[in-house]
Amino acid sequence: MADLLGIGKSGLNVSKKALEVTGHNLSNVNTEGYSRQRVMQSTAIPVSVGGFVQGTGVKVDGVRRFNDEFIDKRLNTALANNKFYEARTEHLEQVENIFNELDSDGLNQVINKFFNSFRELANQPENETIRSVVRDNANLVIKDFRRIRGTLDTQSGNIDRKIQNSVADVNQLLRHIADLNGKITTIEAAQGETGDLRDQRDMALRNLSENFKIHTYVDEKNRFIVTAQGIGTLVTGLHVQELGTVTQNKNDSSNGMNGSVEVVLKDRPSQKITDLFKGGTLAAIIKVRNEDLKKLQNDIDGIAYQFTSSVNSIHRQGFVNRQITIGADGKPAAVDHKGLTTGLDFFKQPLSVEEAGNEIDLSDSVKADLSNIAAALSPNAPGDNRVAIAISKLQHERISGDGSVTLEEKYLQTIGNIGLETGKARIDSEQATGILAQANSLRERLTGVSIDEETANMIRFQQAYQASAKIMQAADDMFKTVLELKR
Amino acid sequence: MTRVSENSSTASLQYALNKTKAKVEDLQLKGSTLKAITRPSDNPVSNVEAMALTSSTNDNLQYLKNADFALLNLSVSEKSVEELTDIIVKAKEIAIAQSSDFFNADVRKNVANEVQQLYNQALAIANKKVGIKHIFSGTSTLTVPFDGNGNYKGDKGHISLEVSRNFFVPINLTGEEVFYNTTDTVKAENPLEKFDQFKDAPSVKLNRDLASVESEGAKVEGAEGTEDGFKSRDNIFSQLQALTSALENNDPQMIQGLLEKFDNTVSRLVTLRTRIGSITNSVESSKNNLSNENIEHASRRSALVDADVTELFSDINKQQAILKTTYQASQGLMNQSLMDFLRR
Repeated sequence: MADLLGIGKSGLNVSKKALEVTGHNLSNVNTEGYSRQRVMQSTAIPVSVGGFVQGTGVKVDGVRRFNDEFIDKRLNTALANNKFYEARTEHLEQVENIFNELDSDGLNQVINKFFNSFRELANQPENETIRSVVRDNANLVIKDFRRIRGTLDTQSGNIDRKIQNSVADVNQLLRHIADLNGKITTIEAAQGETGDLRDQRDMALRNLSENFKIHTYVDEKNRFIVTAQGIGTLVTGLHVQELGTVTQNKNDSSNGMNGSVEVVLKDRPSQKITDLFKGGTLAAIIKVRNEDLKKLQNDIDGIAYQFTSSVNSIHRQGFVNRQITIGADGKPAAVDHKGLTTGLDFFKQPLSVEEAGNEIDLSDSVKADLSNIAAALSPNAPGDNRVAIAISKLQHERISGDGSVTLEEKYLQTIGNIGLETGKARIDSEQATGILAQANSLRERLTGVSIDEETANMIRFQQAYQASAKIMQAADDMFKTVLELKR
Repeated sequence: MTRVSENSSTASLQYALNKTKAKVEDLQLKGSTLKAITRPSDNPVSNVEAMALTSSTNDNLQYLKNADFALLNLSVSEKSVEELTDIIVKAKEIAIAQSSDFFNADVRKNVANEVQQLYNQALAIANKKVGIKHIFSGTSTLTVPFDGNGNYKGDKGHISLEVSRNFFVPINLTGEEVFYNTTDTVKAENPLEKFDQFKDAPSVKLNRDLASVESEGAKVEGAEGTEDGFKSRDNIFSQLQALTSALENNDPQMIQGLLEKFDNTVSRLVTLRTRIGSITNSVESSKNNLSNENIEHASRRSALVDADVTELFSDINKQQAILKTTYQASQGLMNQSLMDFLRR
């Protein structure tokens, strides 16, 4: 009868453990990354008594975690892709907002106004008021070029800071993974349960995947090796190769901007790996910064350069709107009391294409005196409007892109491109979200906790517990019967 | 059989809710702006086309302003030439009347005063202004074109205005062209001619000259081959002065000699007027074209940018119904579990 008591006790034990695990599952129903667990049980080793094989009850083999590493890998890849397009869409949408001028006066409209004010000046080149309108409109153009170029720079700078934060996050995750690698090995060496720690490690890998695409292998001690394509091994067992950031100047940076933040391996700070990341937010923001923003900055600079230099080259041929003394040789005086009488720039002549969008400004002479706005091609001809006409005609001249497009076409192409890129990113992002949702639900179906299922199990284990207790009670009754024999 | 876990059902529900809500949000934005495009990425091609249309419309509005300005100048010039013709016709009538021996010196002296008045009127017309601009002084628009003796102080510059894209019209006649009987006119040039930047530009249409003689073929008689000295005398002012002095000197012979010159002047002025008239017409028709073009632009832009209201609001209703259904479905899903049924 002692064996009956033992069998009953083993049943109680297993049922109690099963109920505990059920409780653990239920309490973690909303824990992110939790995989449901289940008690593995088997019959205890039978003994042979008097030629009979006799069962000895049940025993707990261990607690198993439901998990499939292929599903996890698929999820991580889907996550990296999704985060890539999500971050790309988010940043490109911010960029396209700079160029949203369907109903507002954006650069295109102010440049249009600028050229039209020269047309107005051509009507009445004698009129000083129109000259001031021309100057005001030119100032609006300058302001808008600087707004666009400045906002692009700001966004680039914001991404720099994001890269730094992202790298700090990544390092923390890498250390966390290595740390968990160590704990799991130690506990498993002592036959301990590591389901929850493995969940945490999977979770850390998933968080890492949000930053960039990773590959994982498992070594003989169940430790994870984490690599990233093109970058190398980041975690090997307990060892971590951390990332670092350096700030570089214009010539060394990957986007041609001063103070650009570049990613390096901490041990090799001289070797940039900024452009090597694939997938995830890090690759997305770097791509936006190094490709999209850089291209826009170059385009805007190119447009600003073309615009100011071509206006200047015509303006220089004109004469100021003042009485100029004609010398004995019939040539007009080159200088008068207000300065040069011809050869004046309208805009400050940009030194190079680079930064032309930031450095655009009126020339000092136009700032100083309205009569320095030259509308006339001949001296002392206040009614001569040929320079004003010629400047206004630049609007429709193919002076951009090696003489293939007008400034407006070039600018509209730029906006068209950013619109296309943003639209594409948005569609890709929607798709990637769908794929991620699918991968997630695939994982959740296997590893997720179902309250209904656990409730059913709870009843099952509770009843098994009660039944085992009844066996013990029966054994007890049997003892009592035997003990009462003596009375 | 696929397992359904708590998280998988909430996740799929969240996904469905998010998707529908994003659609509703997008539609509501379109509904509140009544625009099919609210940002470049909604439709990059239409967005860019709409912006180009806006610029083109603004250009046209400016061309319309230019055209009005050209019309103002042309009509003032035309009116001046008309008044000038009347003066010369009147002078000619006087000359005809006085060329016979019917009148005596006293009468002629009195009539000479009348001709002096005509001279003054002609001078006033010659120095007419539009705004601050003297219309007959070439490009030296701030200079008074004629002094009291009828000497021309302006230049030979021509002013052109762009009244629609690449269509330039001359808007002025120089004092010389109107008041002098001279072949020495400067042909109005393409205003972009002197700029290297526009060498390869598509040819700019320039309306016919207002005054250039070679373009007309009909030559001004009596003016050809004249010497400089004579040329400067052979103008409207010198003709009127000659008539005055002939009247004062009581010289019917000389008066008679002037008749042909007056005739020439009148026919020349009539030709100028006709040309101004034809340019005015072409500006008017270009204005019509511009207005029509702007109407087309507006309707094209609306087709590109404006939302189809009927379709939009039926879409909004549809999406809102879907959202409502999703909410109702989630109510059943989220609040029930086996637990609810095991409770006693």
